[in-house]
Amino acid sequence: MTTLTVTQNFGKGAKDIAVYRKLGGYSTIGQKLFDLSQFEMIDLVQRSGLRGRGGAGFPTGMKWSFVPRGGKPVYLVVNADEGEPGTFKDHVLMQEDPHRLIEGMILCGWALGVRTAYIYVRGEFLPAIETLNAAIKQAYEAGFLGENIQGSGYSLDIYVHRGAGAYICGEETALINSLEGFKGQPRLKPPFPAVSGAWASPTCVNNVETLMALPWIFENGAEAYAAMGTPKSTGTKVFSVSGDVKRPGVYEVPLGTPLMELLESDKYCQGVVGKLKGVIPGGSSSPVLTVEEAAKATMDYEALAALKTMLGSGAVVVFNETRSVVGMLASLTRFYAHESCGQCTPCREGTGYADRILKTVVAGKGRDGDLENMLSLADNFSYTTICPLASADAGPIQNFIGKYRAEFDAVVARNPEHADERVTPAFRPGAFW
Amino acid sequence: MSNFYHMPVLPKPDAKKVTINVDGADVEVPEGTNLVEALKTIGIDTPHFCYHQDLPVSGNCRQCMVETDGPRGMGLAIACYTPVRAGMKVATDRSSDKVKQARQAVMEFQLANHPLDCPICDKAGECSLQDNYMAAGRHESRMREDIGKLYKGSPEFRHEDAKGQERGGKHVDLGPTVILDQERCILCDRCVRFMRSVAGEEQLYINQRGDHAFLSTFPGMELKHDYDLNVTDICPVGALTGKHFRFRQRVWNLSKTETIDPFDSLGANITVEHNDGQAWRIMPRRNPEVNKSWISNRTRLEYQKLSKDRLTAGSFQKAEVPLAQAVARAGELVRGARKVAVVASGTLTLEDNAALQALVAGLDKKAELFSGSWAKVGSPDGIAQSGDPVGNRLGLKLLGISENLDELVARAKEFDVLLVAGHDLWALDAQKAKALEAIPERIVLSPWHDATTAKATLSVGVRAWAEVRGTMVNCQGRIQMLNAAPILPSPDLEPVWQVVSSIGKLGWTSELDAYKAAQAGIPALAGINYRGIGSQGRLLEGVVA
Repeated sequence: MTTLTVTQNFGKGAKDIAVYRKLGGYSTIGQKLFDLSQFEMIDLVQRSGLRGRGGAGFPTGMKWSFVPRGGKPVYLVVNADEGEPGTFKDHVLMQEDPHRLIEGMILCGWALGVRTAYIYVRGEFLPAIETLNAAIKQAYEAGFLGENIQGSGYSLDIYVHRGAGAYICGEETALINSLEGFKGQPRLKPPFPAVSGAWASPTCVNNVETLMALPWIFENGAEAYAAMGTPKSTGTKVFSVSGDVKRPGVYEVPLGTPLMELLESDKYCQGVVGKLKGVIPGGSSSPVLTVEEAAKATMDYEALAALKTMLGSGAVVVFNETRSVVGMLASLTRFYAHESCGQCTPCREGTGYADRILKTVVAGKGRDGDLENMLSLADNFSYTTICPLASADAGPIQNFIGKYRAEFDAVVARNPEHADERVTPAFRPGAFW
Repeated sequence: MSNFYHMPVLPKPDAKKVTINVDGADVEVPEGTNLVEALKTIGIDTPHFCYHQDLPVSGNCRQCMVETDGPRGMGLAIACYTPVRAGMKVATDRSSDKVKQARQAVMEFQLANHPLDCPICDKAGECSLQDNYMAAGRHESRMREDIGKLYKGSPEFRHEDAKGQERGGKHVDLGPTVILDQERCILCDRCVRFMRSVAGEEQLYINQRGDHAFLSTFPGMELKHDYDLNVTDICPVGALTGKHFRFRQRVWNLSKTETIDPFDSLGANITVEHNDGQAWRIMPRRNPEVNKSWISNRTRLEYQKLSKDRLTAGSFQKAEVPLAQAVARAGELVRGARKVAVVASGTLTLEDNAALQALVAGLDKKAELFSGSWAKVGSPDGIAQSGDPVGNRLGLKLLGISENLDELVARAKEFDVLLVAGHDLWALDAQKAKALEAIPERIVLSPWHDATTAKATLSVGVRAWAEVRGTMVNCQGRIQMLNAAPILPSPDLEPVWQVVSSIGKLGWTSELDAYKAAQAGIPALAGINYRGIGSQGRLLEGVVA
């Protein structure tokens, strides 16, 4: 039986604070916590090796240590704007176990001296938002939030903020802009949010899952958490598996678990439907794995980086031989072109143009050279932008075309005139004289 | 857009210099400024669209890429948001292929949905996109014409315009002064930042996102502000154009004359742009200490009056007479008078007023000098106007001319000849001016037919402000130059000082004679000649505390 650190209360009705407390919840919010200094708390998280579960995998303790103290108020913002295609863990987590998130926020709040915290939830997650609001109300009534938590003298208020469903608001500075009431567009960095974020104050932006791991770490110790997983990718991770598997869903496994175990094991997905063609291991922006690569892959940050892909948000998308990768890429490029915030030029124009080329190809009007142009455009917009959205589009374009080139070429070849020389009508020789 | 406003740090003349390495050579640049400005000081231009010296940095066009050294080695960064650091290494497109490639890539994206309508675009010739394309473009298209551009002028880009009508993006009437051609917009958001941080009224915003984003006013609202025409200057492409200038002239035919706005005591720095002897527009001229890069719509449209209702000859007893005859007659009247009242004006240059002073001095006790204005004085708007419509008020004070116009009204009966220059007294306050009608001979020097020339017994046409060379002292105590644009409606017109010189037989032959007379009266001007004033003016010491 693997140890669960985040999803242990699933299916137990932990939405209700009474049930949650019976299951051992809120036991960390007590004298033991308030006896710890902020630095000891940050040190605990650093020793546990916990890394941000939102996608980038940045060490959480290190992020916290960047937050300056003693000046402006520090804000904690929970990033629950889960928008990556394929990812669906956070809203399940919030819906099944909202109190664990609140408990994690109190632990983080104590570590950073936070007085006000926000949960920025994707607007479409209406059930999750209702669950959260109800849980927060219960927590206030039980004295875990508000003034003077459990007689400790520490106070914390939590507000739930509904986003309007823009993918870019998952980027932390865009999220902060949106939270402040501006258009959700990323800011220039530096300054980073840890120094100057919401209302120009130090702001810590953490993913839902990251914070929900904190109660277990606090209870069982950093060493117990670090013992799980691999030396550099410690602990467990929640994966949202979708696509051609027998039992898609949200699964928590220790980092370093082989990908095929996650897909084949009876405990988890119970096998692939049909013949496997490829796997996207970490959400739509992570490069795709072919069958051979998938067989070798273990689910941790380093092993996937070695395969030139990434763990990302842990959204595993499985597809079999019946799926057209051209169609998959077309829907991804459409997604990124639609979700580009339109602030900086390369992403605004590039994602849209790449999408229009692929649409033309899919419509059977592809020409030789179109794919090369797409690859070159993707390369050009991947390194010139403000935020990583454009490179998240470039990754799939380069990898899908690179790894399934024959299939793309076959689609281009559907156009009987695909090999014709490119002629601009007005400049055809002899057009004027 | 966010709550963050990083105004660019511009190099100050006395800034400390630090050494940085640009393309392998060690150079000295001012400390603390951004790389665009620092590279400019050593003669390297960095292509950019969204960056503007007087607007907050937005960093969205990504055109000003350079390579700088960081903890992970040389990497691309935008020059407009990278501060100069002592000892830093910078590579521009001259030494780095990566920078060249990045700039070409961004330029290709800028043009991906930009129409190729330069021949009919009003901005052609002064368009950043054209200039930067020549410097940093690919010069070879690989776009497929059958995929085409996203044409934002089409009705697909529907939105509600200022009049509450649903419309597409071509020829959008944003308000009383500005027209938007959506398809040319490259979304640099300079205009949005201008309205927000300079004009102080957010009237423009970028609607939607991705490549279907477009510039718009808020639904049902219009772009209407005293400074809104500045957005047409800062627009790097031909998306925003002013109704007053749209399709009037191709900009490469225009010649430029640097001058200042004489109808405000801040003296906003401007260029009068002219062709074929006619002024076609007025553009702001950057002066960081005076008007930054901005001028008000009032200043900008001042050129329209230069060709309207001009008094190009003299008129004596309601009959038109040649100028020379009118001037001779004025001389006879003044010299033969019992007592002359001369009215100097703060809308005229120091030279003109010095001439009037010399005239009064030459007539000895027979003449008296008056000045002042009945124009309403407003308050500074914090952008490019002081609110005082008398441009040279401080100059008059320095010449020792007191503001005693009301005294003249009270004592009007003592005089038999009145000489007014640069004042439209009857238009400013007809009731007070009525008392002056008691003076039998009223000589008026004016560039225009106005209410005062209508009451004159002898009127003499003179050159207007844009047609004279001279100096004015603004409310900061800064002496600034006016220059003469070759746009005279009649070649016979002379500046006020010259007419006055003829009347008083002063024998002055150029404005330098007049300036020397002004210099004699103002100690602060000692040692400052026209060249010393320069294009940015010169702060006079000890004039304003």
